[in-house]
Amino acid sequence: MSSELQQIMVESTERIFSDTVDKKLLDAVESGEFPQQLWKLICENGFHLLATTDSGADLADAFAVLRVAGRYAVPIPLAEVLLGNRWLDGSDDNLISIGERSGDRTLTVPWAQQAARCLAVTPDNRVFEISDYQSTSGRNIAFEPRDTLSGNFTEIKTDDDAYELMALSRLSLASGALNRVLELTIQYVGEREQFGRPIAKFQAVQHNLAVAAAEVAAATRACDGAVEAIGEERFVLEVAAGKGRVGEAITVVTEIVHQLHGAMGFTHEHQLHHFTRRLWSWREEFGGESYWQSRLGHHLHSLGADSVWDFIASAK
Amino acid sequence: MLQFDPVQLPDSSHALRDEIRQFLAANMPSGHRPNSDFLSGHNPQFSELLGTHGYICMNIPVEYGGGGRSFFDRYVVAEELLAAGAPVSAHWFSDRQFAPVLMQIGTEQQRKKYLPDMCAGKSYFSIGMSEPNSGSDLAAIRTSATKVDGGWRVNGTKLWTTYAHLNHYMIALVRTAPVSENRHHGMSQLLIDLHDDSVDIRPIKNMGGDEDFNEVVFNDTYVPDEDVIGEIGNGWNQCTAELGYERSGSERFLSTFRVYIEFLKLFTDPPNDLQAAAIGRIASNIMALRRMSLSVVGMLEAGKMPSIEAALVKELGNNFEKIMPEIARLAAPLDADKTEFNRTYRESILLSPSTTLRGGTREILRGVIARGLGLR
Repeated sequence: MSSELQQIMVESTERIFSDTVDKKLLDAVESGEFPQQLWKLICENGFHLLATTDSGADLADAFAVLRVAGRYAVPIPLAEVLLGNRWLDGSDDNLISIGERSGDRTLTVPWAQQAARCLAVTPDNRVFEISDYQSTSGRNIAFEPRDTLSGNFTEIKTDDDAYELMALSRLSLASGALNRVLELTIQYVGEREQFGRPIAKFQAVQHNLAVAAAEVAAATRACDGAVEAIGEERFVLEVAAGKGRVGEAITVVTEIVHQLHGAMGFTHEHQLHHFTRRLWSWREEFGGESYWQSRLGHHLHSLGADSVWDFIASAK
Repeated sequence: MLQFDPVQLPDSSHALRDEIRQFLAANMPSGHRPNSDFLSGHNPQFSELLGTHGYICMNIPVEYGGGGRSFFDRYVVAEELLAAGAPVSAHWFSDRQFAPVLMQIGTEQQRKKYLPDMCAGKSYFSIGMSEPNSGSDLAAIRTSATKVDGGWRVNGTKLWTTYAHLNHYMIALVRTAPVSENRHHGMSQLLIDLHDDSVDIRPIKNMGGDEDFNEVVFNDTYVPDEDVIGEIGNGWNQCTAELGYERSGSERFLSTFRVYIEFLKLFTDPPNDLQAAAIGRIASNIMALRRMSLSVVGMLEAGKMPSIEAALVKELGNNFEKIMPEIARLAAPLDADKTEFNRTYRESILLSPSTTLRGGTREILRGVIARGLGLR
């Protein structure tokens, strides 16, 4: 898909998510209610099939949509649905979920109870469908359902770098959410007054936001780099670099935006935590910073000190 | 909001990169100990050699002696020189900002007079902004230029002027009108010959024992009208625009790159996972910074003046190049021979206080970014 079409698609997703995903919905989902209306809307617009091989869109388009989903903390396992339909050649409105396989169990499967089919991926990029499973329910830091399944595994053939695409989904979502929390904070410090003026006027506040903005920009570009490398030999390494760098940004930015929101942002009534708690979850899912940084580091060591610059400079 | 659009290097840059690497393999000055800081090697012979091969002012039109190529090509050459630790200080300011400034706001006469030697790697410029009582508060400068017949008489002192004792010219920000209600009014940029008898230059030794910056005193120094850069009274805006060139390049995050290379060389045995994570963490930071820097190059190439985005690259890059040697030091294998690592590490830590000062302090940059975010 051309960048112009991608832009149109991003704008239309943006419209739908901004109209439908609000604090009320996020709270309802957090209390255990599956967002049926939102799911229906996603299916009606065909977003769930965007990553299938005959959709006419590129994988990059699907990840552009995931950034938007991150911006609104869309409480649907959209990444799982997109990639699940791709790997299962899906064409209907079944909910598909995906977790990470660890031995004979599959961990952190979103909404397994609601899903029609569940998949598991391994760090060596194999994909399995799980059948006849038993599930233990759990939740991530954002209180989103993340179940643990054990059952029968049947391997599904795909040429995709499945695990790395799942990791990329987390860094795309995070890139979107990081931009959003920065915007929310800029807005808040302009409205909140202390000592007779908006706290945005205080240099300490300005400097902390500048630091956060720099981290958000770095995360955005790190995500770009990984998306641009889809299908290329260095994809895994760009994902590794991206997941590591975005993880670092999440640590810095979530701390600053909460600090600047004061006690208000620490309340459940405020919307900020719907984003920050997801960021903390996505940072860990499908490999945390140290996992990906060490994969990149081992690779760079194997290249040798004199080839590391060439690796860095060979990014497109 | 700040904009860092995705940018990809043009295909032409690949061949250029191979070419400059071959050049460096053959021509790195003998006895030069590589260091990636852009101010760590003032070597006119090497700069002239680069000029002869067309590696300076690549983005300046051919008719003025430049390469007639893009900002991207200049970027590729610059980052290869820094990564290899080549001595680039002599021509750096000419190449990075003053040649583009002359192209942008210089007169035809100025371009014809100065650009050919700048492009040839023979003419070196210094930045004339800071003064004894004007550091971060640039509008507080006192160096003044008084109108005389056919030109200006300059009096005052510039401080921290890097390589003024070795370079040929300074482009100085001076007051051409007294301070008025708007402090940013009444300033102008003049091109000053540093070899003039009326200019006293005194090197200042830094904490690492090197003498690269100076105090420069002007005693009734005469500057002809034809050496006024841009418009009289517009100096502040011109300086601000110049910062897009000055703050966004790879020298803002590669200053300590050689430490990373020597760090990697310490691992004769494979690193453990935590050491590998340190190796990967450093690379992932450089990769993200480089993409941000390239976004700014894209804006420069498109004729924009991205001074806020450039400030952000510098802020993030300076902080990284300070912490990077520490990540490496703490993750280094305990039993390795650290002779070369220690050499680069020591140079870096002795330099480190300056990186978040030169070219705009961290505090000023954060203020610029905050303005870009609409906070002030």
